[in-house]
Amino acid sequence: MRVPLDWLRDYVDLQLDPEALAERLTLLGFEVKGLERWGSEWRNVVVGELLTVEKHPRADRLSLTTVRVGAGEPLQIVCGATNIAPGQRVPVALPGALLPGNRAIERTEKMGVVSNGMLCSGDELRLSVDGEGILILPAGTPLGAALTDLYGDWVLDVDVKPNRGDALCLVGLAREVAAATGASARFPEVGLTEDGAPIDQVLAVHVEDPGLCPRFVGRMVRGVGVAPSPQDVQRRLLAAGMRPVSNVVDATNYAMLELGKPTHAFDAGAVARDASGRAGLLVRTAGAGERLETLDHVERSLSEETLLIADANGPLAIAGVMGGAASEVAESTVDVIIESAVFDPVSIRRTAFRYALRSEASLRFEKGQESRLARIGADRVAGLIATWAGGSVAAGRIDTAPDEAGPARVGYRPARVNRLLGTSLDPDAQAALLARVGIESEPATAGSNVLIAADPTLHDVAVGPGEAREAIVPSWRRDLIVEADIAEEIVRLAGYETVSGKTPDTSMPHVRPNPLELRDGLRHALAAAGLVEVVTPALVPASQAAALGWPVRAADGVPGEQAVDGPVVTVTNPLSERHSVLRRGVVGSLLDVLALNERHGRADVAIFEIGKGYAQAPDGSPAEWWRLAFLLAGSAGPPAWNRPARPFDLDDAKGVVDLVGHVLGLPEPLFTLHADGAPLHPGRAALAMAGQGCAGLVGELHPSIGAAWDLRAERVFVAELAIAGLAGGQLAPVRVVPIGRFPPHERDIALVVPESVAAADVLATLRAAGGTTLRRVGLFDIYRGTPLAAGEKSLAWRAVFAAEDRALADDEVDAEVGRLVAATASAHGSRLRT
Amino acid sequence: MDLATLTSQLHALGEEALPKIAAAPDVATLDELDVAYLGRKGGALSSLMRGIGQLPADDRPRVGVVVNEVRQAVEAALEEARRRTADAALAARLVAETVDVTTPGRPIARGSLHPIVETIGRIAEIFGQFGFVTYEGPEIESDATNFQMLNIPPDHPARDLWDTMYVDVEGGLLRTHTSPGQIRVMHTESPPIRALLPGRCFRYEAVDASHASEFFQVEGLMVDEGTNLGDLRGLLDEFAHAMFGAGRATRFRPGYYPFTEPSVAFDVGCLVCGGVGCPACGRTGWMTILGAGMVHPVVLRHGGIDPERYQGFAFGMGVERIAMLRHGIGDIRVFLDNDLRLLEQFR
Repeated sequence: MRVPLDWLRDYVDLQLDPEALAERLTLLGFEVKGLERWGSEWRNVVVGELLTVEKHPRADRLSLTTVRVGAGEPLQIVCGATNIAPGQRVPVALPGALLPGNRAIERTEKMGVVSNGMLCSGDELRLSVDGEGILILPAGTPLGAALTDLYGDWVLDVDVKPNRGDALCLVGLAREVAAATGASARFPEVGLTEDGAPIDQVLAVHVEDPGLCPRFVGRMVRGVGVAPSPQDVQRRLLAAGMRPVSNVVDATNYAMLELGKPTHAFDAGAVARDASGRAGLLVRTAGAGERLETLDHVERSLSEETLLIADANGPLAIAGVMGGAASEVAESTVDVIIESAVFDPVSIRRTAFRYALRSEASLRFEKGQESRLARIGADRVAGLIATWAGGSVAAGRIDTAPDEAGPARVGYRPARVNRLLGTSLDPDAQAALLARVGIESEPATAGSNVLIAADPTLHDVAVGPGEAREAIVPSWRRDLIVEADIAEEIVRLAGYETVSGKTPDTSMPHVRPNPLELRDGLRHALAAAGLVEVVTPALVPASQAAALGWPVRAADGVPGEQAVDGPVVTVTNPLSERHSVLRRGVVGSLLDVLALNERHGRADVAIFEIGKGYAQAPDGSPAEWWRLAFLLAGSAGPPAWNRPARPFDLDDAKGVVDLVGHVLGLPEPLFTLHADGAPLHPGRAALAMAGQGCAGLVGELHPSIGAAWDLRAERVFVAELAIAGLAGGQLAPVRVVPIGRFPPHERDIALVVPESVAAADVLATLRAAGGTTLRRVGLFDIYRGTPLAAGEKSLAWRAVFAAEDRALADDEVDAEVGRLVAATASAHGSRLRT
Repeated sequence: MDLATLTSQLHALGEEALPKIAAAPDVATLDELDVAYLGRKGGALSSLMRGIGQLPADDRPRVGVVVNEVRQAVEAALEEARRRTADAALAARLVAETVDVTTPGRPIARGSLHPIVETIGRIAEIFGQFGFVTYEGPEIESDATNFQMLNIPPDHPARDLWDTMYVDVEGGLLRTHTSPGQIRVMHTESPPIRALLPGRCFRYEAVDASHASEFFQVEGLMVDEGTNLGDLRGLLDEFAHAMFGAGRATRFRPGYYPFTEPSVAFDVGCLVCGGVGCPACGRTGWMTILGAGMVHPVVLRHGGIDPERYQGFAFGMGVERIAMLRHGIGDIRVFLDNDLRLLEQFR
């Protein structure tokens, strides 16, 4: 809320400079988000006196004036307005002035005559909304004075929290300033002369559902002259960020900013009369098919929950949200009906959202309104209208619920307040603090309970004699309901800085496994291996999942890490199509990252992400799961002058999978051809399985997917892995295998097989055939070419044999090798290459 | 052949060999000289020694002495010459192997860790020193868990603080904060509770330099019999000092959240100007880094905890905000952009 300090001074004395006041309010819970010198742009705009006004010699529509702005020579200024006359005091923008909207004023020549500046309208200065004529200042305005000194003001932008609707006004903030500074706040005097007919002869109001409109106060002012408001009123409204409209409408806005009470003024001439000739208002919900043209000149069809102010002929206004065009106060308006009501906050909030019409009024209604303000607001607005627009105020009010609730009583235990706050404020000190915001307190009556929570059910506790006090809460403080609310009020007034900190010294909780541990272990290993970690949005375009077609279930087989192959979860109110569904996998996001970096001229990209996939489970409930995905494109290893560039290939990607398995202590991963390749190259896609701990797809991206992502890289390698424990598991400790005391034997075995035989199958055969002395066996070379026949390849394996209890003899090892050769020969038709 | 002749021939051989050895330019020449003078077959010394047999028996030992003298002199000269030429060869090799040491080294592949995840880790580490245990909760929540159980009823004006994205699963929404985790932890643990809940959050919020529609938060929760606002202050001070430096000023001021009472905003002295006031801190000298407060009794009740016996505090911070301050990043959008030119600076 924008708070002009000049206006605030009406309700509280301000001794502090604006910065100090801003800090004081911030520390009281009313954060000052901005401190603006309103009118600082009126530098070089000064008060001048018109000496002469003559016709411009060469332009009928222009006047040639001379203006005295001080002791020096009068200035010759050309002016287009017609409302000026000698002797008037007017704002003069001198050459060098910069008016609102960055309008620079220079010395110019207009139709052959030099103009040494500009006479300003109120609108040009944003001092009023009158752009028709020059702003005529009061006669006594000091000549030559800078306008910014006369009318400039400090404006605080105060962040009023949703629970403090009572402070969404100058009077409410004045109460807080008073609490902060020790000054006393003044409520505005409602000067009102009721010189008209009794109200019940001119106005009748019927509220159909008092639940939706607990109180309706009506007043009437007859015989008004609708015109612009006084200049100082316009100035205050503008400084507060509200556009002046007319003296009648401005009266409602002025009272709203002053008291926090939204009201509405109807043109009584547009309201249907009842049989007795009274204007008859009806507060009811909309009927089927009803329509209303609102003040913004939009014709709206009204939903049936909408609360209306209506007359016998139909809707007049959407209650608490926006008036109707037909009953709008206009220049022709003679009689004005003032509506000052309390509406159900939820109804108003829903209505404002339904029509996307959240106004200053609806914002205040939806926070709840103090009943008392309905009466005060009606009186205040009637008084302001009578003062600014004339007319006679009808005697009395229409009031559907004149009984005003007294202050609420909230019990609290001073000792409990200290226990919550960690303070040692004695009961009197607490009471004195509360008194600073008008909360009196006294010992609680015997046998009364203290309310500690109001939801989901009232929860109160019995207290011992003398243990509790009762705070007598003013009716505007609707936020103080339970004991903890009183505790907050006490510490707020004492100052949060009076709470002295200490490190917690109470019992420690039980140790729990760290859910980030396994992920962190993988992250560090992958970064050490040269991959860059990325974090990408979970919300992706709806088209992405379809375009990529990554098989969610490819990772099946890892216990506890199942993915759901259900429909995507869609955002029903997305910010944009680009962020409209939750991704089911991570690889598509990595392609986005590659594309972005390629656009920046980056070709070598090695990235990974540990992120979530999401989908709808068969029962309609949401499912979320973790995945590790990575992408390799361009050259392997950092580019360097002293190393030839080598492009990433599938083996690099499989190597990363291998590394993941190592970190997790899993068996060496097995890769099998993933024939149903999409979205991968059908000949270069593998299902990777490392025991039961890690499974997923790894492969080269299908060229058509690369094209769909507009990628420049010729080959892109991607993988997405399900990993046991990725959602919150721990790393298994390394189990050490003893280092043998006896030297191992290494033997190389080259086996010639048909091309169609998969290396992994031969390896499986070797492992199965190997006896207890076969420690390791691994592929170290593949050879094709002479003297092998076409369609043959030689797989060279290095086998390591050792025993724990003895040195193996050569012939023993030879026999083992023979068994391996024989086993592969029978399983794969291989022969030993010699 | 008499003794004198043989003796003089032996001496002559030595006098001939020694200068040649001294002048030999390389090991190969020395090897040739070695063979030529000392070779068992056909060497000059061996040839002369054949004449010993023609001498009288009495003279032979005397010649033997001379032979040994000459042999040893030649051998010593050869050894000395070999050492000299080896030294020279090594020196020449070292000169020949000189490289331009000013060229850059061959870079080792090294990736990097994302600042968001790293900042979460740093936060967890700091609070871990105070016994805070990390938990995680789902990102798809419901109105009940994201709002109602946190004392934010439907149509409450405070809902304006969280613009929400809804999803097409029954009652589902994308959590707007990590606070639903408070309820989940209260349901699975009993006091004493010290919990930390990091994770991804979503808001229906137009994206600009300081707002993101997807972002990360870390929630903290501590509940015990006497846990009070002073504990919160003390803990947050420790956190601010660990994260931003020991001398960092801190400030505790009122805030507003429906799920805490009292509610707190926690500021640190501006990391740009140090507290004098600058555009980065709105000229206040302070930067707000998190919101906190004493857990509202209604929230404790929804968590199944008796608010008369137990009390506690909760806090929530934006990970991006902390990371931006820590690393001097001016725009929140960089975190999900993943421009490698930025990320690789964290190598």
